[in-house]
Amino acid sequence: MGFSNRQEAEKTVVEVDESRLDASLATPFRDYIFDLIGQGQKNLVVDLSKVDFMDSSGLGAIVAALKQVGGDGAVELANPQKAVHDLFDLTCMDKIFTIHGSVSDALASPKKA
Amino acid sequence: MDVLIVEDARDQRKLLSAVVRRLGHTVHQAEDGVQALELLCKHPAISLVISDWMMPNMDGIRLCEAIRDGRFARYIYFILLTGKTDRDATVKGLSVGADDFLRKPVDYQELEARLKSGTRVISLEQSLEQKNEELSKTLASVESDLESAAKTQESLLAPPAVIQGVGFDWRFQPSQILGGDMFGYHALDDEHVMFYQLDVAGHGIPSALFSFTLNNLLMDVDANTSMLREQLSKPPYYQVRTSEDVVASLNQRFQTNAESMLYFTMIYGVIHSPTGKVRMTHAGHPETLWIRPSDGELQPVKDTGVPVGMMPGMKWNYSELTLKKGDRLFMYSDGITECENPKAEQYGDERLRNALHGGRHLPMKEMIDGVWSELSDWRDCKTFDDDVTCLVLEYQGG
Repeated sequence: MGFSNRQEAEKTVVEVDESRLDASLATPFRDYIFDLIGQGQKNLVVDLSKVDFMDSSGLGAIVAALKQVGGDGAVELANPQKAVHDLFDLTCMDKIFTIHGSVSDALASPKKA
Repeated sequence: MDVLIVEDARDQRKLLSAVVRRLGHTVHQAEDGVQALELLCKHPAISLVISDWMMPNMDGIRLCEAIRDGRFARYIYFILLTGKTDRDATVKGLSVGADDFLRKPVDYQELEARLKSGTRVISLEQSLEQKNEELSKTLASVESDLESAAKTQESLLAPPAVIQGVGFDWRFQPSQILGGDMFGYHALDDEHVMFYQLDVAGHGIPSALFSFTLNNLLMDVDANTSMLREQLSKPPYYQVRTSEDVVASLNQRFQTNAESMLYFTMIYGVIHSPTGKVRMTHAGHPETLWIRPSDGELQPVKDTGVPVGMMPGMKWNYSELTLKKGDRLFMYSDGITECENPKAEQYGDERLRNALHGGRHLPMKEMIDGVWSELSDWRDCKTFDDDVTCLVLEYQGG
């Protein structure tokens, strides 16, 4: 349970070890990411492979992370499961985030800043 | 402090009473458990009991059990007197809820120390009780505030109406008294009617307050301040703004920040009432279902766009469609399709479409009632996890 991170290929992979990223976890998740950004880790890959449900609050936390990174970094999403992918489709998140099929795809893509 | 001494041996009771009284306490006396319970009922000030173990009628263990069975609202500290020094006595006493033990014959210094520690526990219990009471009062006042806010929200919702030959009806079920779903409709001029539905991320007070603000803005029909009409310098001096424009300007105005994480999904649309032509924009919101009773079709209306408030400078698409007499647009929040049954299965698109298809020839209200009763059966529980809203528009011919 919880969140962890590791450095790989000049990016920070944030693993969400939770099955639901919802209203109860939105604030802790945002705070966790903001801490990383505060430490200067601004190229984030969020590994969503273990999340099988995300609601509007969970999505809000990820958007907050993107806003916090601002122009000098990136938040990329990796490996969303079907229900999460459906949410991304409905809300056209591909217009806002780069979404990768796997963490290794995300790491192989060029660093933005 | 009021102390009750329960002891069947008269001399011992008198002696113990005298000692406790000398320590500054008010003393009550009982000969057995039955009498003790009567006194405890009669004198609510008694908060500490020193009781013998072996007594006729009701012994110390059964007295302690009776005190702990919930009949007294206050905490009563219980000290068991025991002649036995064995471990079993302590175990038995503890298991029925005794707080402390005092060996017979009583050592008076030890008695004083044990009374002091009892007093400490009792005063802690009392301050807890007081705090509890304050909390209950505060909670009650918050709950009543929430209820009055929920009433305000209800009063903001437009009643079912027919405007320029366009009928509107809806159902709304907030998840926790207050919700972030909102919708409305009104005439923009003699031949245009606007309608909207939105769903603010999250639930509760922040989402509801935000939805109130948005509603105020969208329901403003005053020509000078309305963001729904653009002022022109030539007659007719205004132009109805397109749906994608209205959504884009809401987006400029309401950018989420890191603290609030508030954004919203929405549908905004305008119908030209003489022709039935509709222009509408979906911003991260579930697709509208276009119900056409004439040919039995149920067509999704979709123009993909992100929710409002996530990123500045975004652009939106629009859908254009022409409604025939009797056509309906069914707009809903994801609370419907994501509504889970007790087995955690979602209600889903397909069930919704089937329910709408089945009700397409019924009057608008009955069609909505049909969906609602099916959804309630599916949910099988009085409360919903998310706000559940649908807004239905019916073109009755301009």
